[in-house]
Amino acid sequence: MIQHTIGLLFRPRTQWHIVAKLPEKSRNVLVLYPCILALFPAIAWYFGTSKVGWTTGLQGNVVRLTTESAFQISVLFYLVMVGSVAIIGYFIHWMSRTYGAQSTVAKGIVIAGLTATPLFITGLVGFYPTLWLDLLIGVVAISWSVYLMYLGIPIMMKIPEERGFLFSSAVLAIAMVVLVSIMVVSILAWDYGAAPAFTDG
Amino acid sequence: MNELNSELEHPVYNYKVVRQFAIMTVVWGIVGMLVGVFIAAQLAWPALNLDLPWTSFGRLRPLHTNAVIFAFGGSALFATSYYVVQRTCQVRLISDRLAAFTFWGWQAVIVAAAVTLPLGLTSSKEYAELEWPIDILIAIVWVSYAVVFFGTITKRKTSHIYVANWFFGAFIVTVAVLHIINSASMPVDMTKSYSAYAGTVDAMVQWWYGHNAVGFFLTAGFLGIMYYFVPKQADRPIYSYRLSIVHFWALVAVYIWAGPHHLHYTALPDWAQSLGMVMSIILLAPSWGGMINGIMTLSGAWHKLRDDPILRFLVVSLSFYGMSTFEGPMMAIKTVNALSHYTDWTIGHVHSGALGWVAMITIGSLYHLIPVLYNRERMYSIGLINVHFWMSTIGTVLYIASMWVNGIMQGLMWRAYNQDGTLTYAFVEGVAASYPGYVVRVLGGAIFLGGMLIMAYNVYMTTRRDVPVQIPATSASAA
Repeated sequence: MIQHTIGLLFRPRTQWHIVAKLPEKSRNVLVLYPCILALFPAIAWYFGTSKVGWTTGLQGNVVRLTTESAFQISVLFYLVMVGSVAIIGYFIHWMSRTYGAQSTVAKGIVIAGLTATPLFITGLVGFYPTLWLDLLIGVVAISWSVYLMYLGIPIMMKIPEERGFLFSSAVLAIAMVVLVSIMVVSILAWDYGAAPAFTDG
Repeated sequence: MNELNSELEHPVYNYKVVRQFAIMTVVWGIVGMLVGVFIAAQLAWPALNLDLPWTSFGRLRPLHTNAVIFAFGGSALFATSYYVVQRTCQVRLISDRLAAFTFWGWQAVIVAAAVTLPLGLTSSKEYAELEWPIDILIAIVWVSYAVVFFGTITKRKTSHIYVANWFFGAFIVTVAVLHIINSASMPVDMTKSYSAYAGTVDAMVQWWYGHNAVGFFLTAGFLGIMYYFVPKQADRPIYSYRLSIVHFWALVAVYIWAGPHHLHYTALPDWAQSLGMVMSIILLAPSWGGMINGIMTLSGAWHKLRDDPILRFLVVSLSFYGMSTFEGPMMAIKTVNALSHYTDWTIGHVHSGALGWVAMITIGSLYHLIPVLYNRERMYSIGLINVHFWMSTIGTVLYIASMWVNGIMQGLMWRAYNQDGTLTYAFVEGVAASYPGYVVRVLGGAIFLGGMLIMAYNVYMTTRRDVPVQIPATSASAA
């Protein structure tokens, strides 16, 4: 799987074509891809928030989460990441007929998972949380993922680029809705038991 | 009207007033967004307040909101509704003079706002800051608008009233009711008045108005635009006419109840807050009805996307509409609102609707409308429309993303506490942490504004008769 990661980061068009040519069985194995890659950000942020901590720049006190709290939140974070990829993947499959493409749920999830590669990899910044830096890297990662999607959907779905543009835009809208849902669910989770516990710094 | 323009006159329809409003849409768009970028910069670099009362954030912010909502959005609605009602009823506006009055009256309102707001003359009601003499002028202009619009419909040559006119009609009637009731006040002198309502009732009336300014001015009216220009540009019939009627009545019936979600955890009775929350969540269904209808209509025209960036504006505007009408009900949930209220998330939400939906669909429609009004086959440059499209999209995304990050961060920081019960952060730490987001917002807004300047140039070159339209040889590769 690692060759897909590197391929999508450095020569995305070729890599999408390689994935598109895979026989269905070996392609379906890639459903596991997001499950594995989502471990990186989850572990990174667990370590970063509980061991390293962060400062807000004014008082210089290092803010950290307790180990239990960071563990609980990281597990939820992992589940949310995998869940979001699965939901977006399902919607890719669900919309495929509208745009005249052959698809399965597994194929949708594979597309969504591979598209999120830059986000998973840059999630490693969690080892050392610095707000402005993480923000900057996050923006770059999101842009790269969006680019990957616009590039990948026509190739994977074997449809003309203009139709792929519409398809991708629709997926982007779904992704934004999922993102908003994540924000809302996080807040609800905060109120119902998963509030972070800070160490007394 | 000078003689040069006489050849532009349509034999049946009144295009003059449509042209005037269309041009002013671009002009006020640039003015309003310029003020917006300036006050965004003030939040990042407070020295830009210049230590003058007239240029302080508190006075310029209402100028920005009034300029973009009522001057830019209002002109767009006047232009498109006058155009659509004539084309779909196949009859000229009932009165050219009254239509001209609505144009000059509306411009007078805008200029009056631009003068009084920096002077600090305000009723202090959000989105209804203008003092009572201007409010009366608005009411007169608006009633004239209703007379022209509905008068034209009664004179129509078609038996059927096209669905776009239903949305425009609902918007005109409701805004009249909202404006007149909310602006009721007791004048002290020419420049000062007090609201007719007191305390919590005043707040409730204000947000009943405020939310429906969004619901009817910025949603129903612009859905009217969508229902004409999307099928027209895609060259396809509406995906489902039945859906359009169902979601029209659902939208009109539900929107009016959603106002109390602006007053969660205030002195407003708890049952009213909960009712507002429930109605806001229900509102998701009719809102998405419009999005589905628009997207499905456009999806059949995918083959035209290659050389039609106007369609892209329409597609993306509907995507943002779908996203922000999902976000709105979520933010109206009381538990979520407890975190999101008073943070930048709210501002981000407003702009995903304002930039992503309202401005984008307006821009797309104007690119369709301007060549028709000036007897041209197409806009001067298709390539520049494409550039504008990408600038608008990138600008909007930067704006929304930065405000999401800031908003969530502020909400989380304000409520974080240590195990001994003390607050983890001082308030000012939240402000300091917001600084990068504020800079990104200025950047996003500036890119969006830059796109409007490109549009202005493109419109100007289209209106000039001595300049030939650029041959779109490169437009295929510009996809």
